[in-house]
Amino acid sequence: MIGIDRRIIFLLIAAAVLLPLLRPFGLPIKVSPEVRGVYEYIEALPERSVFLLSFDFDPSSKPELEPQAVALLRHAFRKNLRVIGMTHWLTGTGLADDVFSRVAAETGKERGKDYVFLGWSPGAGSLIIAMGQDLYKAFPSDYTKTPTQGMPVLEGVRSLRDVNYMVSLAAGSSGIEMWYVFGKDKYRFEMAGGSTGVIAPGLYPFLRSGQINGLIGGLQGAAEYETLIKRKGTATAGMDAQSATHFVIIILVLLCNMFYFVLRGEKGKVR
Amino acid sequence: MIFLKRQLPLAITFVMGVTFAFQYYIPHPVSEEAITNVSKWMQIISGFALALGLASIFHVHAVKIKRQVPGWGYSIVLYAAMLATIVVGFKSGGETKVDGAQTAFGWLYDYSMVPLQGTMFSILAFFIASAAYRAFRARSPEASVLLVSAVLVMMGRVPLGQFLLPWTWDITQWLLNVVNSAVRRAILIGVSMGQVALSMKIILGIERAYLGGGKDQ
Repeated sequence: MIGIDRRIIFLLIAAAVLLPLLRPFGLPIKVSPEVRGVYEYIEALPERSVFLLSFDFDPSSKPELEPQAVALLRHAFRKNLRVIGMTHWLTGTGLADDVFSRVAAETGKERGKDYVFLGWSPGAGSLIIAMGQDLYKAFPSDYTKTPTQGMPVLEGVRSLRDVNYMVSLAAGSSGIEMWYVFGKDKYRFEMAGGSTGVIAPGLYPFLRSGQINGLIGGLQGAAEYETLIKRKGTATAGMDAQSATHFVIIILVLLCNMFYFVLRGEKGKVR
Repeated sequence: MIFLKRQLPLAITFVMGVTFAFQYYIPHPVSEEAITNVSKWMQIISGFALALGLASIFHVHAVKIKRQVPGWGYSIVLYAAMLATIVVGFKSGGETKVDGAQTAFGWLYDYSMVPLQGTMFSILAFFIASAAYRAFRARSPEASVLLVSAVLVMMGRVPLGQFLLPWTWDITQWLLNVVNSAVRRAILIGVSMGQVALSMKIILGIERAYLGGGKDQ
């Protein structure tokens, strides 16, 4: 049993993912203080405040980070904030533009007036510095090649110093840490992070020290945000599958350890 | 030649390193203008890294095909996919959408890149489950602590765990906010100190590995 065929494990995981998606059991989602921190800050922002959302991920992290982006955008648009979008990951550009277009269409927001998607530009840390010095030099035009200068959504915005709040949704480097080091520390704006579940624990020191004021971690974080904005989405739907998968893994690990101790005991008796 | 290969880069590194370390603390308009321009240079230089990466990937896979190393067929697939994407990208003018309609380039992105990357990442769940079953054993006290913590966090981070054993939520929050933060902070401080030391060595010309290892170095 300890050397079980791994195809059986694969089948168990497939069943744990698929069955709850087909028949959800919809357990309540508990909201953590780190996710509530992001929600409450956005909730307290006055109308037409400038909110910067950086899509620092690519399609491989789409299932975890796209629901976070959708929930944050829904909240920002509902609060009537001016939203600036961008990405540090070239392969995430199309994905980010698609999310913006979709949520904007759903909430009746207009490109150029209520939001702008700047797209991608090289440089990572140096791009943040360039944006901190002069946003229009860093991005002379947006993703649709419309000149950024004179856009109603950017009225009164010269650089990152004019951003009221920013959230980086990151799947690794370049991401939250880089935004803090090159952006927040010098240009003095408040920021939070959203990340994949796997890198979230590494960001807790930034959260505890106040360098970021909130953290949305993985699919669970996205589901918590959906709960807060009272709009269920793909994250809430996926949490049942995640619950079942976690339980299958826990049972497998416990079984494996049980067999391991039984075998060790038998070997001890033989000696 | 030795001046261009060695002394000039060292001098540029020293001057730029010292200047921009101090620039951070000088909010004078001249200093701000300097960082604005230099950040633009850095962006342009970063753009060249893409061309360099493309050239490098072409070279690596050309060598694999030429020498017919095991798996060289995959290199042909890579060449075909990359060239097809470049051709389609140029034909679509680099646009994924034109007047709301999807271009061929946009189609390639939405229907090949997005699902392929998603698939690569999602199969990790299967391998992690299999690896956890085989390797996650309480062989030593340290491994036992890791095992118990992992099981508690896995329970506390999902609604089913929070529903069945509500106390796992509090323990998970404590583990993440206290134990994990303390350890991560120690690692971060150590890494950062190392980065500061390495930066100093590069600025002062003590660390010269970045110059390459030519004979006349």
